[in-house]
Amino acid sequence: MLMSMDKELLQIIGVTLRMSFFSTLISCLIGMPLGVLLGKSRFKGKGTIIKLTGTFMGLPPVVAGLIVYMLFSKNGIFGSLGLLFTVEVMVIAQCMLIIPVVINLTHSITSVNASPLLETAKGLNFSKGKTALLMLTENKTALFSVVLTAFGRSIAEVGAVSLVGGNIQWKTRVMTTAIMLETNKGNFSFALALGIILLLISLTVNVIASFAVKEDKR
Amino acid sequence: MKKLLAVLLALTMLFAFAACGGEKTQTNAPEAADGYTILLEKGEDMKNTYSLIACNPDKLVDINVEGANAFIEWMTSSEAAALIAEYGKQQYGQALFYLIDEAFSQEEYVAPTASDNKVIRISTTTSVNDSGLLPYLIPTFESKTGYTVEVQSAGTGAAIQKAKDGNADLILVHAKASEEEFVNEGYGVERIPFMYNYFVIVGPESDPAGIRDCANAAAAFAKIAESKSTFISRGDDSGTHKAELKIWGENVPNAENDTWYISAGQGMGACISMAKQMNGYCLTDKATFLSMAE
Repeated sequence: MLMSMDKELLQIIGVTLRMSFFSTLISCLIGMPLGVLLGKSRFKGKGTIIKLTGTFMGLPPVVAGLIVYMLFSKNGIFGSLGLLFTVEVMVIAQCMLIIPVVINLTHSITSVNASPLLETAKGLNFSKGKTALLMLTENKTALFSVVLTAFGRSIAEVGAVSLVGGNIQWKTRVMTTAIMLETNKGNFSFALALGIILLLISLTVNVIASFAVKEDKR
Repeated sequence: MKKLLAVLLALTMLFAFAACGGEKTQTNAPEAADGYTILLEKGEDMKNTYSLIACNPDKLVDINVEGANAFIEWMTSSEAAALIAEYGKQQYGQALFYLIDEAFSQEEYVAPTASDNKVIRISTTTSVNDSGLLPYLIPTFESKTGYTVEVQSAGTGAAIQKAKDGNADLILVHAKASEEEFVNEGYGVERIPFMYNYFVIVGPESDPAGIRDCANAAAAFAKIAESKSTFISRGDDSGTHKAELKIWGENVPNAENDTWYISAGQGMGACISMAKQMNGYCLTDKATFLSMAE
């Protein structure tokens, strides 16, 4: 059964990886600097921001999808861009879900050893940017699990991407929405097989990632 | 805090936009929403028949046979007939389902004494449940018989599969071939077609493919394909999807190469929303479309 839809399956896996990769990349590029900033600085209202990111970690994916859907609908603010039902808009919805997670986790990781690192940086007369970089590199391993968390969340998400992506065959269908479709069709065993493939993809990514970290440590 | 405010602000603006759009349509035909309307209905190839099938206790375990039979008997009684024929008239100014007269008994309905198992599990399709028909009928049945009805709604494919897995006492679906297979494989006792309605083709009022005056759905589909107008297909093995494939016949588009043919793999409501967004055509049951145009 899996063999018969080989070509389509490969295409779906391709879209899934592309979407998850860019979601993770963009979320980390935006979320990590903000997280480090929160970790190293003290200012009024910091607690509120952290609580807010914590709250948004619990944002139901469908709600995130709904907001993005309305923004990019024909009569929405960004409707004229014509991005609805594309992989791009799926990435945007994903980022909305993942960025709070990345900020919150990066903050809690970097705030642990912030004070000794800040002292070192001060002693070495580091610039602000260099200090942030130091905090990132010193927490490399822990931050790597943040990246994997972000990737895991984006590859497993279904509610938001089916809403804004439309689950269009040969275009925006990803593994999770394909699983949902097969479940709705009543092909429960095939849906389960797709689920196992999704886990295998996730495993592969994790194995490659852990090798990369080990290489780096040497 | 700023972020939250920004999101809230964006949402408020969106609702404002949506509200403005909604007001405009009120001056148009009552069926239209955003210039989106029913373009073709009642073609002879658009008939949509619904059937009741009790699950077979010889093949499946723990089936509430008495309950399933009681429900079917009531659904085909003159009392239910009157209710079904009335449904939709008040809200939409037209009936949404028509009766198949042969299925209905003329005799006075006598409520059976409820069996020990008071729960009846119905596996049905979204068009029957989401259109509000079952929620409208069931309270009368429940108060009459003392049964409790649990409705699970999904696409016809999944609805039938749930029954095959032993998770339903009867099914109410609309896909003749799959229903006959269900009975022939021994899962169902007997197929009882009891009501029907018509699929409709909905699309933008501008009607780029010019299907308004087509005699039937097949002719309309041919025009849509010829003009390569966007068409949203359920693509999910549901009763509506199967009906759509039957209309295409041999000319079914290939979703991989024909980019105007969108195979969405989603429920009816989601597909109609997509069609509106993409200014495309869509085959739908009338009830779901009307309930969404509100």
